[in-house]
Amino acid sequence: MTTEARDRDPAAAPRPRSAVRISIVALAFCLAAFALTFSFGSIAGEELAGMGSAALFPRLVLGVMAVLALLMAFGIGSPPMELPPPVHRMSVVVGLAMIAFMGAIALVGMWASCVVFLVVVGRMWGERSWVRLTVSAILMCGALYALFVTFLHGVFPVGMIGALLQ
Amino acid sequence: MDAFISGLAILADPTMLFLILSGTVLGIVVGALPGISGSTTTALLLPLTLSMTPAGALAFLGSIYCAANFGGSITAILINSPGDPSASATAFDGYPMAKRGEAGKALGISAIASAIGGIVGVVVLVLIAPVLADMAYEFGPPEYFALSLFGLSMVAAIGGDSPVKNLFAACTGVLLATIGTDLTTGVERFTFGIYALTDGIEFIPVLIGLFAMAELFEQAAQSGQVQTFLKMDAVKLPTMADFRKCAKSIGISSVIGTFIGALPALGATTAALICYNETKRWSKHKEEFGKGAIEGIAGPEAANNAAVGGAMVPTLALGIPGSTSTAIILAGLIIQGVRPGPHLFKEQPTLLYVVLASMLAANLLYLVLGLGAAKLFARIAMIRGGYLWPAVFILSVVGAYAPNQSLIDVWIMLVFGVVGFLFRRHGFSPAPLVMGLVLGKMVEETLKQSLLIFDQSWAMFLTRPIVVTLFAVTVLGLMAPLLARLWRRWTGNGVHHTS
Repeated sequence: MTTEARDRDPAAAPRPRSAVRISIVALAFCLAAFALTFSFGSIAGEELAGMGSAALFPRLVLGVMAVLALLMAFGIGSPPMELPPPVHRMSVVVGLAMIAFMGAIALVGMWASCVVFLVVVGRMWGERSWVRLTVSAILMCGALYALFVTFLHGVFPVGMIGALLQ
Repeated sequence: MDAFISGLAILADPTMLFLILSGTVLGIVVGALPGISGSTTTALLLPLTLSMTPAGALAFLGSIYCAANFGGSITAILINSPGDPSASATAFDGYPMAKRGEAGKALGISAIASAIGGIVGVVVLVLIAPVLADMAYEFGPPEYFALSLFGLSMVAAIGGDSPVKNLFAACTGVLLATIGTDLTTGVERFTFGIYALTDGIEFIPVLIGLFAMAELFEQAAQSGQVQTFLKMDAVKLPTMADFRKCAKSIGISSVIGTFIGALPALGATTAALICYNETKRWSKHKEEFGKGAIEGIAGPEAANNAAVGGAMVPTLALGIPGSTSTAIILAGLIIQGVRPGPHLFKEQPTLLYVVLASMLAANLLYLVLGLGAAKLFARIAMIRGGYLWPAVFILSVVGAYAPNQSLIDVWIMLVFGVVGFLFRRHGFSPAPLVMGLVLGKMVEETLKQSLLIFDQSWAMFLTRPIVVTLFAVTVLGLMAPLLARLWRRWTGNGVHHTS
């Protein structure tokens, strides 16, 4: 049934439950992590010393997690819930903007990237005034610079262009 | 008592007073911002404590923790959007009161009830924590293992309505705590050859990612919505008649809130919701609740601030967080090289009482600020999302980067932001993951120490009475919802319905 048809008829069948899907993902995670524990090194005699191997505790925890994942599949201790709606476009856009921000740091450094991010994402969020966004971005970054660099003597990336200019 | 007086004396230090004042103001301001909870506030501001002394960091974080709960009530009352989950119950009656033009009175009683509840919580903390710490001297590694398991089992009650999902999240946190070099064997675990991970995952980027970033992604989905703000006239203090009406609810809620806060993992939100129901039950004006009953604000506000003091009891005395925010504070203490527990009371009692004195001072400060500057703080809630949320991101990036000056930490923050967002979408609460991360090392260390003591015999755990008691309480706690369902079914069979 399409979303539109469901919206027209509220009494239509509900979306499929997400419990099994979540359980499968959780179990896959546990299996993958368990497999990784075989890549841990070991030291001679650790078992004899009574400490247990380095992998013992993570495997114990993963075992418990696997049991909990199975309980989720059967809906035990976890009320059924519908599949969540698709991720909102704006959430994806903001996520991509964050990744672009990380790339921009390598190019123009932290502070310039911060100002650009504040202006661009603020605009995407619905703010109309470029001037107000830019002024508030510069003020905020200036305050953070004063606190973390001037006062706390932090060192932040300057990027390739910043390094060339220095 | 001498140590407590020494702790109070430190308040005469201008630096400490400045830290308490700034922590209180920041706690109210950030706590008032919709979507930024007290725990997110604490996580966001944690990087600032790195340059402070342990006493200063504790005073700062303690003040934030106290004030953020009150700050959350501002937006709960004015725009029906609690700034902190613990203020959810406040919105039930606070917003209706504001809609009929009594926002000032609502904020006034909120400030007074919060301060009274907070002071009761701190007094109980002063009296009970040393006693608990003395008892904890009887604890060895097996007892601490059992206690940390009990603490983790209680996370089943935090957030959401799925105990199994909460436990899964907690175990994920414990698993994350194993990343890095195993201290007993020197073996690297889950580092994938990345040098930055050999010391394990830093708390700060995880906390900021799980709370602030995840909330940012959610708020982005609401970026097109327009918030409506109610006008707030000058703050009117509640009258004596209002105070008499609320006195019983404040008293009961302060006591219950402190007790609930002291139970590991429950925290202020649970305290506020339970006390809302209790306040309604004991009220002579039950019909007013949900429509703007002043007691409906006083009760939960007293409870959520009393729970702050209560939650610090197991945190400081045993090193087991009493709530999500105290888990973050505990992380902050560990970063400072201070491990809370019974030793803290014996070796650094003044440090401890500095915390208590600063929490007491913060409660008094936000009472004054809340009554005098509520209108100003209310304006904070009106910051538009397009300015607020990108700013939260920048603050988060700087906060995640600053401690180790590493972009890897920023990437970790982003990854956990996505994790936190996905968690929320699928009914998992991030708070249990934080609890697991903070307690994980302790669980593993005490387990290994215990097995060493017991010569690898797991059955020897059952020879320790305190361990057996804690295991029994843990199992009972986990089985409680099932037992409650069976009980309801059994008693429901005996009910006769009359027409």
